[in-house]
Amino acid sequence: MNRILSLVKIDLNTTFGLSAIQYKFRSKQDRWQTIILIIAILSLLPSYYMIVYGLSEMYEAYFNIGQKSMFLLTGVLITQLIVFFFGILYVMSKYYFSNDLNVLVPLPIRSREIVGAKFISLMVNEYLTSLPIILPFIVIYGVKGNEGILYWVYSIIPILFIPVIPLALSSVIVMLLMKYTNIKGKKDLLRIVGYFLLIIIALTVQFEIQSVIQNSIMSEEDLFLQLITDSNLFVRKLGMIFPPSMWGALSLSNYFNVTGFLHSLLFIGVSIGIFLIMLYLSEKVFFDGLIGNLEVGTSNGSGKVKSTDFRKKLPVFLAIGLKEIKVLIRTPVYLLNSIGVVVLVPILFVMPTYMGGDHFMKQLNMIISGNPNLISLIGSGMIILLGIMNCVGCTTFSREGRNFWIQRTIPIRAKDQIFGRVLSSLFVQLIGISVLLGSIAYMGMITIDSIFWISILGLLGSIAMAELGMLVDIFRPLLDWDNPQKAMKQNLNVLIAMSVGALYLLGVGFLVYKLLGKMNMLFIYCIIGGIFIISSFGFYILLRRMIERQFLILE
Amino acid sequence: MLKLQNISKTYSKGKVKAVDDISLHINPGEIFGFLGPNGAGKTTTINMMVGLLKPDSGNIYIDGIDIWQNPVQAKKQISFVPDTPEIYDKLKGIEYLNFIADVYDIPKDVRQERMEKYLGIFNLKNVVGDIIGSYSHGMKQKLSLISALIHEPKLFILDEPMVGLDPKSSFQLKEIMRQRCDEEKTVFFSTHVLEVAEKLCDRIAIINKGKIIALGTMEELRSHAVEKESLENIFLELTENE
Ligand SMILES: Nc1ncnc2c1ncn2[C@@H]1O[C@H](COP(=O)(O)OP(=O)(O)OP(=O)(O)O)[C@@H](O)[C@H]1O
Ligand SMILES: [Mg+2]
Repeated sequence: MNRILSLVKIDLNTTFGLSAIQYKFRSKQDRWQTIILIIAILSLLPSYYMIVYGLSEMYEAYFNIGQKSMFLLTGVLITQLIVFFFGILYVMSKYYFSNDLNVLVPLPIRSREIVGAKFISLMVNEYLTSLPIILPFIVIYGVKGNEGILYWVYSIIPILFIPVIPLALSSVIVMLLMKYTNIKGKKDLLRIVGYFLLIIIALTVQFEIQSVIQNSIMSEEDLFLQLITDSNLFVRKLGMIFPPSMWGALSLSNYFNVTGFLHSLLFIGVSIGIFLIMLYLSEKVFFDGLIGNLEVGTSNGSGKVKSTDFRKKLPVFLAIGLKEIKVLIRTPVYLLNSIGVVVLVPILFVMPTYMGGDHFMKQLNMIISGNPNLISLIGSGMIILLGIMNCVGCTTFSREGRNFWIQRTIPIRAKDQIFGRVLSSLFVQLIGISVLLGSIAYMGMITIDSIFWISILGLLGSIAMAELGMLVDIFRPLLDWDNPQKAMKQNLNVLIAMSVGALYLLGVGFLVYKLLGKMNMLFIYCIIGGIFIISSFGFYILLRRMIERQFLILE
Repeated sequence: MLKLQNISKTYSKGKVKAVDDISLHINPGEIFGFLGPNGAGKTTTINMMVGLLKPDSGNIYIDGIDIWQNPVQAKKQISFVPDTPEIYDKLKGIEYLNFIADVYDIPKDVRQERMEKYLGIFNLKNVVGDIIGSYSHGMKQKLSLISALIHEPKLFILDEPMVGLDPKSSFQLKEIMRQRCDEEKTVFFSTHVLEVAEKLCDRIAIINKGKIIALGTMEELRSHAVEKESLENIFLELTENE
């Protein structure tokens, strides 16, 4: 146990750079960076406020049908599902692709100690994801319902234990996936395919369970009577989607009686149980998936090339874009955090819509048939958000790392740098657009119009977002890393770019909201498109200057 | 071809004076050797010549173009091989070479001819389809050399090029450097291997603690030193007495 703790300590220290932060804060320049960071976080607040506002409306809705515990279930369920799906991304890069493995594996440590330590530090990481999601649910429920002291005491349990089960489950799944795809040669490809298959299977299973449960609820004869007599009816039924979430929700909504106490015990017990099972399993499979990970594939092809390979000529900007895409696809951490995100997020976005059930879908259909443009608007907003969440733009220079000297000593115009790198971001965005359109089609709400507008506006906005990210990144690129994880996942530039991007999007969104209904929709689309084009151009000018300047003065 | 005017650079906010008021003028067709003990300031000087490190003061001209005023134009004239070859691990050798060739806008036929020539010389033909992450240190270095030779630069700048190369490759590299000078191209390199400098270079500069302490042909250096035998003796003598 001692060894696990010291491993955790080291890991957390390198992950969050605690020592580095302490050291940094002494110098003046870095104090500025801290201030910028704080401003960045503050600028996320308006978006967050809107979400919280929407949630309290949701509480009212459930309250009115006497099922307010359903509100808690929704919170726990969404949090756990998100932790689970993102957990798969994180676990894979943390357990199998982080550089400290070169150091850890030769040491006389057992796999369960390595996995245990990595799990715990991932947990700390996951709180950053889970807390902002679950806290509003718990606070709104507590405040609006005037729940007593005991409620708040009880709430500590789900808050602390929420990430355990989903993270342990994703650890198990990833370890098994890695073990069985550890085949010489096509390993990387197999794993990527396996990864996406996993997600698709997991989601389909979710959808299936849901629709079965919903049908059974709707076909109950005396539904309304039951609603009145059992205030946990929805939770008990819909909670079957993922029982641990149900236990978490029930423990909290019944804090005043034995049911709550028992469910708390169940929630904690199962969490610890699954964690232990995961550790036990790691002893059997962890190393199997790891072995051979450090060697790189040379076996495919003899290393020789055809003479036509010497005769491929591209314009400079395309050469850069292609190089970016190749590196992105071939580095698992980059792939998971860029393409992985643009695939996952649209699907996760559609899922809760489904979770609302037939009833909710009918309402949604009504709203949308009232204004068919809503899909196009929300869809393109979504794509633009992905344009910053895909991290391609805002880490493009950081990802160069120690290879940055190449870019700085060869004669590339800033213009080509921008075009090429924006292109690589658009490539990722195109995948995101396809997945989003696919998801919308799956809901049966796709129209030719929305395909057109989501693609056009989405791409235009993505250009602006990629440039915005690059602006942040070239201002303070993170070049001194030894692990690609640091360039993409532990890069503050991502957070800064995201908050600035969110503000930008919120601004445009607000304008559209004000214009809606006041003029022809076509007009509004043109205005949005115009804003994107103008800001892309403005960012381009700024970026060109910044690149020229920073390429000279960086050390 | 290459002109350094009163270049200075300090690190750590003025605490370490790595390069102290250096001026150099290197002519076309010259092989120029840059010698000095560890930490003398060789890498720092070279990094300033290739645009990686901005000098605190002074100007650098490449073929008359100020590299800090007009970087893209100046960089078209040069190519650079650093002391540690950090190249994109995830690209294949051939992809990296093609990338560099695209940047320098080399026509298809020309690039094919040059790549095949240099890949043959450095014996990399069999691995050029593999990703660079699978290369050994020396193989990376040779790939870096080839990528620097593809566009036949007017000025070829190398930081300790012989370190880590096997004897054959090191011999080939010296041959190539010679040939380049015969074509009136310029070569500037730093080294610790005194024999190489002695045999290969038209002129030599010795730098110590950021200052040039000797500059000239072998003959001229000899005439300054008390111990006139070999470059080794001259080097030891000059860098010793502070
Ligand atoms: N990034 C840096 N930050 C601070 N000081 C540095 C840095 N790089 C070099 N120095 C200092 O500058 C001086 C010159 O270093 P430089 O790397 O130019 O030497 P060098 O001649 O290339 O040495 P070697 O033969 O070991 O390669 C040394 O005193 C070194 O400590
Ligand atoms: Mg050096």
